Amino acid sequence: MTTAALIHVVVSGLATGSIYALMAISLVIIYNATRTLNFAQGEMLMISTFVGWAVYQRLKLPLLGVMLVAVVGAALLAWAIERAIIRHAISATHFDVLIITLGLSLMLRSAAGVAWTHDDFPFPSFFGDRPMAVGPVRLAPVSLGIIGASLALMAALWALFTRTRLGRAMRAVAQNQRAARLMGISVERVYSASWVLAAVVGAIAGVLIAPVIFLSSKMGIVVINGFIAAVLGGFGSMPGAVVGGMLLGVIENLAPLYLPSSIKHSVPFIVLIAILLLRPGGVVGRVARRKV
Amino acid sequence: MEAALEIHDLAVYYGKRRAVEGVSLTVGRGEIVTLLGANGSGKSTTLRAISGLVRPARGRILYDGRDITKTPADRIVAAGVSHVPEGRDVFPEFTVLENLLVGGHTVARGEMDERLEGAFRLFPVLRERRLQLAGTLSGGEQQMLAIARALMTRPRLLLLDEPSLGLAPMLAREIFRTIRTINEDGVAVLLVEQNARRALRLAARGYVLETGRVVVEGTSRRLGEDPRVRSAYLGLAKGAAGPFMNRPA
Repeated sequence: MTTAALIHVVVSGLATGSIYALMAISLVIIYNATRTLNFAQGEMLMISTFVGWAVYQRLKLPLLGVMLVAVVGAALLAWAIERAIIRHAISATHFDVLIITLGLSLMLRSAAGVAWTHDDFPFPSFFGDRPMAVGPVRLAPVSLGIIGASLALMAALWALFTRTRLGRAMRAVAQNQRAARLMGISVERVYSASWVLAAVVGAIAGVLIAPVIFLSSKMGIVVINGFIAAVLGGFGSMPGAVVGGMLLGVIENLAPLYLPSSIKHSVPFIVLIAILLLRPGGVVGRVARRKV
Repeated sequence: MEAALEIHDLAVYYGKRRAVEGVSLTVGRGEIVTLLGANGSGKSTTLRAISGLVRPARGRILYDGRDITKTPADRIVAAGVSHVPEGRDVFPEFTVLENLLVGGHTVARGEMDERLEGAFRLFPVLRERRLQLAGTLSGGEQQMLAIARALMTRPRLLLLDEPSLGLAPMLAREIFRTIRTINEDGVAVLLVEQNARRALRLAARGYVLETGRVVVEGTSRRLGEDPRVRSAYLGLAKGAAGPFMNRPA
């Protein structure tokens, strides 16, 4: 295999990896605030992408407008779900909330099927189709576009978490909820903000990836790889989520070159099992091992 | 004149356990008042009820004459009550500076620099360490940070839970000197402290709690002379914990 071809594979791996990273970040944002997993994260991504697409079909908005619609739709959906359902269950066990979000994911998928059928739809891309030649390497613009947009979003999130009052409050809640309350932080407002922010990140990821994997009620499944990416990076760590996502994307794209090509869809799970056995704290993580 | 804090017949239950059962106390404006008592007597729970971390089952809590019994914790902070919890609870993954900034969560943006300056004036060591992670500070420095962080909102009532716990005597003395300085600026202090002697020296008045009830109250002088307080909390005579209750044999 030539170096040029290898670079091509790695770059497209980084592109899917960026999406995994964004999904992982979404999961980690909610986990850090509430210590629960949102199994419906993928379906929320799917619904918001559909909403953007539906508005696009009607109004022929420019793509940036589609993304804006998806983002606003995602924010409203997350806010409503958090206020109407999750908030009332938050004093229950984390396991209850987990099951609720699992149920939500099934309901959202059915709802999408009713509204838009379970077919695949082509989704317009921000980026052209013609491969770009960089020296001998040919790169798909969509890959570079996804990587670039994801990195920009990650930089914005980094600024939010380190430079703003809301971001600091979210990190404070992640470390010690009681102490955060004593600082005058409304922990309930941080829950809301976390759900909304996670959904917004998911919506952007959805609009970026839909042209590649097609728009369908099944696209929420990407959350599983997001989850694996988060574990890979040490669940709870944002930089870990980014590294884990990128790593997973690249491994998943490289593996079929050396192993039977049918292995591709098993790769994330093999990686997950390997990481849990070898480095349960994640590749960059610091999560303490549970004593048994 | 209204008191900074008035508590009437406070009761707090954790499930079936009665942590506080009918406590009434007042803290005057600008006054230092101490709560004494053995572990589990309800001192920390009383502070938690004041700052809104736990909901009382019964009773009323008035701050500056306003009923804050059902006010959420974040609004109680904004109203001017700061609580330094037992064990400091600094944010270990934040730098000293970030801890102070988050302490000023409810403070207007334009005020922040001045408040930071005040914190660094009170504890110069925090200025030197402002970019160090709080989790790597010594116990004494963490306590200073916890107090400085609580002062970022310029509270008029400061709740301190065991500020000298685990500190070397010299550091403990320094913390107590600082509490006096803070008080001299007009901040009322409700102090929970295991070192009763030191607490009574600092406070004007005190209450002794036992199994969730006030069993003795009075001026520090009176408490210091009370034979039961002397034996149980000042270690001046032999006596079992719980000297005020007739316990079944």
